[in-house]
Amino acid sequence: MNHPEASSPLEGSHQGLEPVVTVQHLVKRYGDFAAVDDVSFSIKEGEIFGIIGPNGAGKTTTVECISGLRVPDSGSISVYGYSPGKDRNRIRQFVGVQLQESQLPPRLKVGEAVRLFASFYPNPLDPNELLETLGINKVEDSGFKKLSGGQKQRLSIALALVGNPKVAILDELTSGLDPEARRETWALIEHIRDRGVTVILVTHFMDEAERLCDRLALINHGKLVVLDTPEAIAAMAGGNRVRFVPSKPVDDRVLHSIPGVNQIERKERYITVSGTGDLAASVINSLSKIGVSVSEIEARSGNLDDAFVKLTREASDVSGALTR
Amino acid sequence: MTEASAGSKETESRGHFSELLKVEGKLALREPTALVMGIGVPIVLLVVFGLIGMASPGDVPGTSYTVIELYVPTIMVIGFIFLGMDVLPMTMVRYREIGWLRRVSVTPAPPSRLLAAQLIVNLALALAGILIVISGSELIFGAALDVGIPYFVLSIVLSIAVIFSFGLLIAALVPSQSVANGVGGGLTFLLLFLAGLWVPPATVGGPLATIMYYSPSGAAAQALLYSVFNSAPPYTAIVTMTVYALVFTFLATRYFRWE
Repeated sequence: MNHPEASSPLEGSHQGLEPVVTVQHLVKRYGDFAAVDDVSFSIKEGEIFGIIGPNGAGKTTTVECISGLRVPDSGSISVYGYSPGKDRNRIRQFVGVQLQESQLPPRLKVGEAVRLFASFYPNPLDPNELLETLGINKVEDSGFKKLSGGQKQRLSIALALVGNPKVAILDELTSGLDPEARRETWALIEHIRDRGVTVILVTHFMDEAERLCDRLALINHGKLVVLDTPEAIAAMAGGNRVRFVPSKPVDDRVLHSIPGVNQIERKERYITVSGTGDLAASVINSLSKIGVSVSEIEARSGNLDDAFVKLTREASDVSGALTR
Repeated sequence: MTEASAGSKETESRGHFSELLKVEGKLALREPTALVMGIGVPIVLLVVFGLIGMASPGDVPGTSYTVIELYVPTIMVIGFIFLGMDVLPMTMVRYREIGWLRRVSVTPAPPSRLLAAQLIVNLALALAGILIVISGSELIFGAALDVGIPYFVLSIVLSIAVIFSFGLLIAALVPSQSVANGVGGGLTFLLLFLAGLWVPPATVGGPLATIMYYSPSGAAAQALLYSVFNSAPPYTAIVTMTVYALVFTFLATRYFRWE
């Protein structure tokens, strides 16, 4: 009561960023198999929200429920206050969707497709400008089957955006693209966000998630494992590592006494310590106090890849332990 | 603002439908199959039977019609069969298989509009085929037709309805393009036979003629034959086609899947 700001969970730490998509206790079963099993999260306006997880984790099913393509078995979803199940027609006007593995008629031309989709929406973007922004104005008169993988993905993004959506759902956007096309696509997604569109990005590429997303939901076996910023999730992998060569031999006990150090590995003349905090600085400081200097320092902060592997493995260990 | 958009809903949906129709029309012209099936095949058959008729003038034994007169209705029905049983279901099944119907279904445009646009495009091709066959048979091959417009329109509407709804039923039931190809191809062959491509029912007689007259394509050819000579089609043909069309349409809408 004394802290009125605390009683308004909508505001949180990001001021003025209201949740625009809320998913509560979402459950979707296919027969006996629960593809999504009690997942809850909310997405703030203007953020890039990543949904990551191994193949078959339930990522696509989750976003298909948000876009109204699938009807949840239980739980509730709200997109700008509308329910994808009940207000399907309303939602389709402001949610742009890029579907995994959906193709166009082979002879449909790029320009025709974008103009056709523009005609579906009440306030579309200018198709010509969009084609130019996405760099596919030069292939405007090419049929879908003649396009390269990257061009197909751009067209797919164009179709998701031409309706001038408030929310864009992009599913496995960069699968099958070469590294350069992926980078260009990332720049496009940032561009979309800068225009104020809330982006829901489904991916299994950790570099993509790390680079683009403001927050990440890691889903495994249909359950939400963790929801946080990419940096915070990366730190969960056991954090940072520092590898160095000491000027003279150092005892394990000494190393363990350095603040933040959890683990020690030795290989030839190298010592690798891992732990939390600013490890490199504390290693240098502590060792210099006992007259040991260090050289060939290599520091690496915890990355999302490690965290992903660790967290998904932990989750299966837990479920394994429960069934035992 | 949301209230204002409710008022313009009608114009919006008309806008996107005409755009869809335009795109589907262009695609049909780019894809040679639809043109070949809907217009090419009737032209070839017209020429073939026209030449046969010129080689053996006079009425076909057992009937009061020349060869080309007897075949005009059958050729029209064959055009409908190729469009309705091959082009239409293949296109819809392909659209479903590549995820195009699903893609459209997440926009404000209902995917049923896509189906409607496909129907209209194929209908337009069928009508073009009818014009070519009627005028070509009269002007080039000397068929002495006496088209009774009300009977003719009724027969055409029912013929197209029965064959196109049969095609949509195939599109509803088959799981993939290759199955659509097989099933559509087999049934096309059967319907071509029943329409009298190899032997006109008027010349076979007996139980086979009865089977043909009570089949979807045989009834269509029979009704059209009467109507191009300004006679009322037999009510059995009218009832037969109506029943088939209703049953096919009901089953097709019942089982059609968008993804």
